[in-house]
Amino acid sequence: MPTAEGQLTNSDRRNMKVVMDRLVPPVDDLPGAGSMGLLDEVERMAEEHDRYRVSLVRFLDALSMDMSVEAEGGFLALEGEQQDEALKEIESSIAKEFANVLEVVYLAYYSRPEVHRRIGWRSGPLQPLGFTLPPFDESILDTVRKREPFWRQAPD
Amino acid sequence: MSKGPVDVLIIGTGASGAAAAWRLSEAGFKVVCLEQGGWYRADQYPTAFGDWEFRSATSFAFDPNIRRLPEDYPVNDKNSDVSPLMFNAVGGSTVHWTAHTPRFHPSDFRVKSLDGVADDWPISYWDLEKYYDLNDEWMGCSGISGDPANPPRSQRPMPPLPLGPDGERIARGFDKLGWHWWPSDNYIASQPYRGRNACNNCGPNGLGCFQQAKGSTDVTYIPEAIKNGVEVRTNSRVFEITTNSDGRATGAMYYDDEGIEHHQSARSVIVAANGVGTPRLLLLSKSRKHPDGLANSSGMVGKNLMFHPYAMVSGFFDDAEPNTFKGALGNILMSQEFYETKSRRDFVRGYTYQMNRSTGPAKTATGFTIPPVQWGKGHHEEFALRFGKSALLAVISEDLPEEHNRVDLDPKLTDSNGIPAPRVTYKVSQNTRKLLDHGIRNAEKVLTAAGAHRVEATPVHRSGGWHLMGTARMGTDPATSVVDGNCQAHDADNLFIIDGSVFVTSAAVNPTPTIQAIALRAADYIINERQDLKA
Repeated sequence: MPTAEGQLTNSDRRNMKVVMDRLVPPVDDLPGAGSMGLLDEVERMAEEHDRYRVSLVRFLDALSMDMSVEAEGGFLALEGEQQDEALKEIESSIAKEFANVLEVVYLAYYSRPEVHRRIGWRSGPLQPLGFTLPPFDESILDTVRKREPFWRQAPD
Repeated sequence: MSKGPVDVLIIGTGASGAAAAWRLSEAGFKVVCLEQGGWYRADQYPTAFGDWEFRSATSFAFDPNIRRLPEDYPVNDKNSDVSPLMFNAVGGSTVHWTAHTPRFHPSDFRVKSLDGVADDWPISYWDLEKYYDLNDEWMGCSGISGDPANPPRSQRPMPPLPLGPDGERIARGFDKLGWHWWPSDNYIASQPYRGRNACNNCGPNGLGCFQQAKGSTDVTYIPEAIKNGVEVRTNSRVFEITTNSDGRATGAMYYDDEGIEHHQSARSVIVAANGVGTPRLLLLSKSRKHPDGLANSSGMVGKNLMFHPYAMVSGFFDDAEPNTFKGALGNILMSQEFYETKSRRDFVRGYTYQMNRSTGPAKTATGFTIPPVQWGKGHHEEFALRFGKSALLAVISEDLPEEHNRVDLDPKLTDSNGIPAPRVTYKVSQNTRKLLDHGIRNAEKVLTAAGAHRVEATPVHRSGGWHLMGTARMGTDPATSVVDGNCQAHDADNLFIIDGSVFVTSAAVNPTPTIQAIALRAADYIINERQDLKA
């Protein structure tokens, strides 16, 4: 559970790393989001934007207090499927905060160059390179141009 | 601290304020603009950075309640089906818009006469036509004339933006069904234009424009206005329009960024603070002559808020490679097949389809118009299905005015200067819901005809309050409207309102060209009929 000042404890970090692996699991040669070492990035983003920070603290609070987690001796002790069930419980009980945590994890994961390589996205700023497209070709209008004007007349 | 009088004080430098500032300064009026935001340089926009998707979700979000920058004010939207969106900077929300620039139709100004609902405007399409043309030139319009769904219009200054293979695919879907479509007019330069670069198809054109290809008013009207002597005073948050014992406007009180109060006196005041900010300011400006707020003897200030509720319909395609993020995100082509009232339908008025592209990987995962990609098992498969392989048909509905949809002052919530924040109360009407349902059903047909293997719809997109209209409506009767057809307040003849607040109805298209045409026309009225306001 985070401290009263909202700081994550080492226990929170261990939990969160596993949570992130459950949210975005390994694929091909990439580890899950937690094992990829993205927790620092998630914490940085949360520190920068209050909406994420508040939600992360609330989420970790909920995780540490979840009945099923407590009964089994902690989130880390659960089997993977049980961890997912615990997360679904939290998702339904604090939907908004869970959505914000998911969002910041996705933002961190999908900003990684190794992820970009896998999905076919060019890393780095969009500008100044942009993308190339062929110019507009008027022949695409051939069908619609056959239509008579149909806009509605109106009294002055 | 009081500053000496100017001819015209303009509050806001967005779409309308900037246009009026340029036009009035061309005619020799001494103009000061007060803007609560600051200047952005092109290299400060998110797309200049590798973490552009994080910035777009936080410090550059559309929603001021998420962004929470010092220049933003909070909006209480707890009782609204749609969240109002806006941006505070030189250029206003045109920094943030996607620059899709359709015009209203002639019928949009006569919905009472034609369909027996809402009210007619005191002006017509034809009153605005030359101002639409002027604005197209100054903002820089890419497009092509000949659209059969609209009155003929002059040749566009630049050719259309590329449709790309994804746009052409959707166009053919409309063709297969025999339904109208046309390349959108956009205020995005398809070729170099007046010192601005051509669009390089980077994608998310709602995040400022690094290339300055997009026509935000900080790169169109404002620089020309400044050349004419207009002073743009940034980080200046107006909290009251002052009036004299006759009830006429005398200027405005504002805070600078150090919280120091100032007064700028003026012979006339133009309010251009958007459909939420303008009624807020008028309601804040109470006086003995205006006990219910400035220009509010009709009680109409803040009422009849219109948003254009959107339904969002996404189609997913079996493309070999992700590619639908290449090109301007917003509004590449549109269809107005279902724009007008038909007696066989169970709703009045109609809608426009707008095609939008997809976007970057994080935004794809977090979702925007549809829920986020599922977490856990199946995440990567679902992500692969969506990323770079989708197109969106946005259904933009005509939103009819209803008095209970409104902006007023929140009794508790304030901005960082302690000024009461706006409170928005808004419900999507049954007519609109029926209209959107119709739009969803037909969008599914279009996307399927275009080859989509899956279609997913969001019936009302909550984060879609881009268009803020109707809260200080124009009309001929002072008992039921706030300004006349020239945007002059009925209650104070040197007060003008020129933003989307003055709209009588919303039409079913993006409002900005109409807002700007109205602003330019109001400026011409001042120039031609109100020389008394010039020193």
